[in-house]
Amino acid sequence: MAKTLRLEKRLRLAGILVILGLLVEGVCLLRAGPLAFIFLVTVGGFLCAAGVVVYLYSLVSAGEATPGP
Amino acid sequence: MHFPNILLLSLIAFSAVLIGVLVARPALTMTRGGKILAFMVLFLLPLLCMAMGFTSEFQRATSTSFCLSCHTMESHGRSLYVDDPTYLAAAHFQNHRVPADEACYTCHTNYAMFGGFKAKLNGLHHVYMQYLGKPHNPIRLYEPYNNRECLHCHQGARSFEEGAVHTADPDLLPAVKANKLSCLSSGCHDVVHNADQLSKVKFWKGAN
Repeated sequence: MAKTLRLEKRLRLAGILVILGLLVEGVCLLRAGPLAFIFLVTVGGFLCAAGVVVYLYSLVSAGEATPGP
Repeated sequence: MHFPNILLLSLIAFSAVLIGVLVARPALTMTRGGKILAFMVLFLLPLLCMAMGFTSEFQRATSTSFCLSCHTMESHGRSLYVDDPTYLAAAHFQNHRVPADEACYTCHTNYAMFGGFKAKLNGLHHVYMQYLGKPHNPIRLYEPYNNRECLHCHQGARSFEEGAVHTADPDLLPAVKANKLSCLSSGCHDVVHNADQLSKVKFWKGAN
């Protein structure tokens, strides 16, 4: 039960990070200019990448917790 | 706004809604369908959105309006409208010898291997200088302008290869092609932007 809760927590965190990254990307696409470009590449890219990494980590950690055959 | 950007924004909104469903109900991932959905919206779609977003922004970063959005480049932007055919940049821009919407990038990118990549890195340096550093006044090129960038378009063109001035001296064209004699600084095409002399010139009003 605790493992499931931890997995759900990590999935939530991954989802929130990806949503924030996508929001930054969306706002930057609506605005033209060097600052929007920098924000998209750094902040947007970092948040999305962090979300994906948290998601992948949650998969790996869930796999480790499951006993093998 | 261009159609690809509208498509990308729709994809971002669609992804965000699906991720929102997963964030609200993470228990969905306990089922097989939920696991596939999570993989789609927390891995594939974000990567796709970012790849498309990066491509779109890098493409936009090659536009003339993007380059001229920095205050430092204002006078260079004005120099494109000088009403004088001896101004090299203006003559290229006004006569569409370079694409008008990518005028800066066309002449100032490096046509060697990794030239585009180098241009992007230099662009990041420009952004840094714009917001955090102190741009040189007047601004200057990182390295002397290489004839290769001119020859990328002009080599093989009849007006270039058979032009009266170019063929008057048989040693001239080989020297130009070997970058031993600069097109710009050898006294032939030495009026380029001359951004510090714009107070003395007339301007073209532009095509309507």
